[in-house]
Amino acid sequence: MTTETASPETAAAGRAARATFRPNIDITDFGTEVVIHADLPGARRDGIDVTFEDGVLSLVADVPPRDQPGTAIRREYGVGDYRRSFRLGEGFDASLITADYRDGVLTMKVPRLAAVLPRKISVTAG
Amino acid sequence: MHSNPNPASRFSAGTPAGTAPSPRRGRRFAFSSPLEEIRDEMDRLWSEFTSAAPVALGPLVEWGLAPDGGRAVPAAAAGFPAVNVSETAEAIVVEAELPGVIAADLDVSVAGDELVIKGRRSSRQEPAETTSGERPSWLRRERGTGDFERRIELPVAVDPAKVEAKLCDGVLTLSCPKSAECQPHKIEIRS
Repeated sequence: MTTETASPETAAAGRAARATFRPNIDITDFGTEVVIHADLPGARRDGIDVTFEDGVLSLVADVPPRDQPGTAIRREYGVGDYRRSFRLGEGFDASLITADYRDGVLTMKVPRLAAVLPRKISVTAG
Repeated sequence: MHSNPNPASRFSAGTPAGTAPSPRRGRRFAFSSPLEEIRDEMDRLWSEFTSAAPVALGPLVEWGLAPDGGRAVPAAAAGFPAVNVSETAEAIVVEAELPGVIAADLDVSVAGDELVIKGRRSSRQEPAETTSGERPSWLRRERGTGDFERRIELPVAVDPAKVEAKLCDGVLTLSCPKSAECQPHKIEIRS
């Protein structure tokens, strides 16, 4: 089941300058693979870590601070690191997970094992 | 029919969606009519859509979420994109988060003290079909797509010709120099 737990460092940081955010994601099932898109605006390619361990796919992105000059007169979002994890079930090939970062969006592709994909068996006349 | 204690398993890898046994809640009958099955399915779908609890994702289940559910800022209702605005003596600096929006799909204009950020966020990076020709199924949808338009009133008029825009890693930064009459200028005091 889906469980959501607060990570201790985020709870402690609160609204501090180095808050950690949960990025918005889309998860799409394409049959042969499941694709996860994550919005990580402000992250740098070399600051993104995607790891897979014990069945858990984790993304952590360090976002460099971007202090705006002058006096803030409107503030609708905070700038901070991103963190989110996904528990993968059976039937995925973790060794073939790919991650690509472009225009502030991280795309992770998680392919299914060929063994679990449905196969069409043609019927031959005997 | 074997019992299916975990509704999530209907998305299990290798089980084609739609043919998996629907999860039963409460009392189970030895024989269930098609009507009951439909009702159960409707109940289940309805509870998935109305429940505040996250929908179980089956093979892809997540954990470890931030306590506030993400980019929780009170002004989130203000519209897309969210903006941070700051003011220096010479300029207004507007920053907006636009992940997945490319420069060609973005239209920024300034007239007097009104800034307009228009554009389109598409999901075109995804194929419309799976390899077997079916429609891909969405397991979770949090990122919006489509057209957006945001009008932002600036505190002073800016010089439209001198606005500089930069889009990098999904962050738009607009540097808008104030128009000449709005800039502070030093007044010489004659003795």
